[in-house]
Amino acid sequence: MKKIYGILGVFTVVFILTAIMSPSFLTPYNMERLILRTSLFGIISIGVAFVIITSGIDLSIGSIICLIGCGLPWLLVKMTVPLPLAILIVVTLSLLIGLVHGVLITKLKLQPFVVTLCGLLMYRGITRGFTGDQTQGFGKFFSELRWIGVGKVAVPGVPIDTFGIPVPFFLLLMVAILASIFLNRTIYGRYLLALGCNEQAARYSGINTDRMIILAYIICAAMAGLGGVLFILDGNSAQPVVLGNFYELYAIAAAVLGGCSLRGGQGTIIGVVIGTALMQVLRNMITLVDWIPTHIEYAVIGAVILAGVVADEVVKRISASRRAAASRL
Amino acid sequence: MSDSDQQQGLRTPKKSAEPPDLLRVCGVTKSFPGVKALKGVDLHLKAGELLAVIGENGAGKSTLMKILAGVQDYDEGEVLVDGLTVRFKGVEDAFDKGIALIHQELNLADNLDVAANIFLGREPRKAGLLDKARMRRESSIFLDRVGLKVSPDQIVSDLTIGHQQMIEIAKALSVDARVLIMDEPTSSLSQHETEQLFKVIKDLASKNVAIVYISHRLSEVRELADRVTVLRDGDNAGELFRQEATHDNMVRLMVGRDISKYYALEPRSHGAVALKVDKVRTIQNPKHALSFEIKSGEIVGVAGLVGAGRTEMLQTLFGVMPALDGSMEVQGHSVVIRSPIQAIQNGLALVPEDRKQQGLVLEMAVRENMSLASLGRDQNKGFLNHRREQDISREMVAEMKIKTPSDLQEVQYLSGGNQQKVVLGKWLAMKPRVLFLDEPTRGIDVGAKQDIYKLMEKLAEEGVAILFVSSEMEEIIGMSDRAIVMHEGKLTGTLMRDELTEESVMQLATGTQTKPISNN
Amino acid sequence: MRKLIILSAALAVVLGGITACGPREQGKSGKPRFAFVTNMPASFWVIAKKGVEKAGNDFGVETSYHMPTGNAAGQKSVLENLLARGVDGIAVSVSDPANQTDILDKIAKKTILVTVDADAPDSERLVYIGVDNYTAGRQCGKLVREALPGGGKVMIFVGSVDQDNGRRRRQGVIDELVGRDSDPSRFDPIDKGVTGNGYEILGTLTDQGDPARAKANAEDTLSRHPDIGCMVGLFAYNPPAIMEALSQANKLNKVKIVAFDEDNDTLQGIIDGTVSGTIVQNPYEYGYKSIEVLVALNKEDTSLIPENKFIDIPARTIVKENVVAFWDDLKIKTGETEAGE
Ligand SMILES: Nc1ncnc2c1ncn2[C@@H]1O[C@H](COP(=O)(O)OP(=O)(O)OP(=O)(O)O)[C@@H](O)[C@H]1O
Ligand SMILES: [Mg+2]
Repeated sequence: MKKIYGILGVFTVVFILTAIMSPSFLTPYNMERLILRTSLFGIISIGVAFVIITSGIDLSIGSIICLIGCGLPWLLVKMTVPLPLAILIVVTLSLLIGLVHGVLITKLKLQPFVVTLCGLLMYRGITRGFTGDQTQGFGKFFSELRWIGVGKVAVPGVPIDTFGIPVPFFLLLMVAILASIFLNRTIYGRYLLALGCNEQAARYSGINTDRMIILAYIICAAMAGLGGVLFILDGNSAQPVVLGNFYELYAIAAAVLGGCSLRGGQGTIIGVVIGTALMQVLRNMITLVDWIPTHIEYAVIGAVILAGVVADEVVKRISASRRAAASRL
Repeated sequence: MSDSDQQQGLRTPKKSAEPPDLLRVCGVTKSFPGVKALKGVDLHLKAGELLAVIGENGAGKSTLMKILAGVQDYDEGEVLVDGLTVRFKGVEDAFDKGIALIHQELNLADNLDVAANIFLGREPRKAGLLDKARMRRESSIFLDRVGLKVSPDQIVSDLTIGHQQMIEIAKALSVDARVLIMDEPTSSLSQHETEQLFKVIKDLASKNVAIVYISHRLSEVRELADRVTVLRDGDNAGELFRQEATHDNMVRLMVGRDISKYYALEPRSHGAVALKVDKVRTIQNPKHALSFEIKSGEIVGVAGLVGAGRTEMLQTLFGVMPALDGSMEVQGHSVVIRSPIQAIQNGLALVPEDRKQQGLVLEMAVRENMSLASLGRDQNKGFLNHRREQDISREMVAEMKIKTPSDLQEVQYLSGGNQQKVVLGKWLAMKPRVLFLDEPTRGIDVGAKQDIYKLMEKLAEEGVAILFVSSEMEEIIGMSDRAIVMHEGKLTGTLMRDELTEESVMQLATGTQTKPISNN
Repeated sequence: MRKLIILSAALAVVLGGITACGPREQGKSGKPRFAFVTNMPASFWVIAKKGVEKAGNDFGVETSYHMPTGNAAGQKSVLENLLARGVDGIAVSVSDPANQTDILDKIAKKTILVTVDADAPDSERLVYIGVDNYTAGRQCGKLVREALPGGGKVMIFVGSVDQDNGRRRRQGVIDELVGRDSDPSRFDPIDKGVTGNGYEILGTLTDQGDPARAKANAEDTLSRHPDIGCMVGLFAYNPPAIMEALSQANKLNKVKIVAFDEDNDTLQGIIDGTVSGTIVQNPYEYGYKSIEVLVALNKEDTSLIPENKFIDIPARTIVKENVVAFWDDLKIKTGETEAGE
């Protein structure tokens, strides 16, 4: 828990500041939209957190989002594949991508950076190939399916038009809870954390480190695939050239903000979710607050990420010296 | 402050004519989260003096030395050099005053060559570029002084550990050290290398360099030290001059009680063959097939010089690296072991030589390290069994007397010896049938050593077969029911308990003699 | 960091190289060869490709078509590869006019060079074929006026204003709305609102090509300005993103949408009445005309080149009345439906 104090602090500060600076911020509509965006990005960030915990990296997330996000409407609309089959295809494809990444990294001992960088190039290229660079979307069809992306669940006493909890939020909640349990309560989560710190020691302790690493990449690709589906269900129209561009960096930034160390072995799911929310509030703030020029957006985001990481480190130091002082007595 | 002055006054009455001590420490304290590592320690040192600092694991020796070398800051107290108070902000400050520390773990950039390492951070430059010629020239001077015959452009990773240690010393000399601090320098040296090191140390002392020497090997301390300072629990426990520094005296001050001579090995009856190794060849030494047996309840020592292939043998048997061919049987069943997972499933366990790299996840708590190997066994349908994890780790911490504020402390903050106990505890929790130990007492204090020996005996009595590698002759002779000796990857012979002497082991270890392998 | 830069540069080169390795057997026939190079990948250019191919057939020449990724650097390496291979003429949509003049001039020395869609006025290209984005922007502004005859609040959404097309379109919309006279070189800062004629242009939100961001921008506008009257989307994906945001907020038909380009969703929106209208360029014609001009120039026939070196392919206004006919024609050109042969 201590690990998230820093980021929680920064988030609270940014949240309150934005609320003060813009009267539109706390409106039900705006909150609803923020929850929706946090849910979409939160899911892919949780995925990459698993890989980062193994001290790996996945740069292909944005391209997987592109592949799945464009592939699903392409299958359903252009190829008129039946829905269950289309879903089976995208799910299998995501898992397979993760499996291939993991196997290349563990069995061939290729570097994660290289493997997933190639993925970044390939999956987008493949998508542009089979879609012929045409915009993909559901048009007016598949509205039942699209409910998963755009649907809302009413809060008792509030008209749904004013505010409703976006359906993807429940998906995020589910993913986050399962991920938390996996990481903190199962032996496999412990294995991941251990091998992230010291793979050799983990292997000497009889842990099948290769299998765990492969699992992490599968989780990451699966979450990216789920993200891709949600992005297209929500946005309804996607161009293969741009969909998901740089999303891996947002995901990695959110994970790092949330306390994942790129050195591996560290990270909490709740931290990652807060990190994602912080990123979304920031972008929201930049559009809502009139006097912040919109084109310095990246500067603001970069500065706040840095502040978040620094705050995290400071909190760590303070609590360490407190404990030292306590034992001095 | 005045309190510690008084103590100092008592111990070393100042003669007004004498120059001030080269180095003096008064009442230094240092706290870490959860631990008070130093509680007001005093120390003094004259030029050319050879001072040994001993104490149990976690007594604060390394912490004190890091403070003296500017690696770590302290809370209270005073450090004086040449009678003047100093406070080092970093290693450079200590260098300026002529104080150099050789760490418990070697700190070389082993991808670079010898000369580059000696001058790391202080490279001589000519016109802004590295002056390689001068680096080579000057480093050979220092290499000569430590009696090392290697070329300055040799890559450090190609050198033996012993030679690397010498490079560290050469590096210290190159900063013109007046005080050279060595934290357990011999723990990974061969006998020959140790002797070489002692020659260099004595030579340096005769040239007026003051030496602070830390070791758990009391025989070394006896051989070298002019004076011995003993620390216990972060405090001074006493001081012994050369003639008083007997083994028993040192132990008494360290542990605060008498420790009877260890290795109280009674002849034991052994059970059936627990592990049979048949013509196994390792990747490192493919020329020699290894064959031997261990019975349950038997303690077999593996002797040999550093580099004899003992570690590689254990790693191969444990499946860390694949065997080229050969076969193994555990309790009469033939087994295939190609990974540690399979080894563990067959009841084997390995306490590796390099505890930081292979034994521990330093950033994790004692408890989490302790349970790492047994999580799979104790799982509850994939979920952690927190209760059991806690019980086992508490039990192990108590049983092995691990010094830690709680079992939730991260292992990286434990002293070396206590870290080693955590690794041992991890494997004992697995209740193995065959236990491989690779240098199990490296860097461990006398008390803890004895704990570990007792533990080995207890396990043997319970029927565990133990194969342990050790470079300490005393330990091989004292602990083994039987010893097998290796030389350059080859098993050169077996010695039964009554045949075990320093000479007999050395003859086999140096390959001057061989003796058929017998398993009885 | 430096490594990263080098890496990405190398990547750009490799990618450029890959895209440039188009049809290799070209030129064996001895026919003249012409290349068409886009500024970036987009569905827009897929339509242009049809025009290029059609013209290639009509005039009996070989054509190749290149869609570089990686901005100016990617385009540069494609152009250099083309030079190395040797072509009789190149039509290019310049991705960074300000900084690519020298490479363009180098090409112009070796082969026939024309620009299409995005111009580099200072280079030695022989002619520019395209739309005047400023004029097109003013056309778009007219649509806004028709959608909001009584005035109101307007927000502009665009991928970026660094590119010439984005900048000039936007300026055209603003100038038309507040009733200024034509001056394509004018530039209002993007964060500053402009008011006049009863219209309040609140600002311009850019998304750097990220459609999810484009949608978020539209949503944030709804939060910030609940009384918004009209949203103008200037890049092809902007109108669909706006539509999605409005539909999820239940504000379709309450807030007007004025569009640019011919995304399927946009056209459907016009049919449904949720989008007031769109301004479309004629990418097919870009492709066709480019090749036609290159063929003529290759025969040293300059009759197609006007005095001002600008061949205007005017933008068209598509509204409910003509949308169906336009879409049917488009489908034929993109090959979505077969032409009735
Ligand atoms: N960085 C640190 N953070 C927390 N505790 C520490 C740290 N460094 C040392 N300690 C604690 O301080 C005490 C003294 O440790 P130190 O390393 O000085 O012991 P030592 O005498 O060198 O032992 P050993 O013989 O095992 O090397 C130990 O209890 C250790 O756990
Ligand atoms: Mg120590």
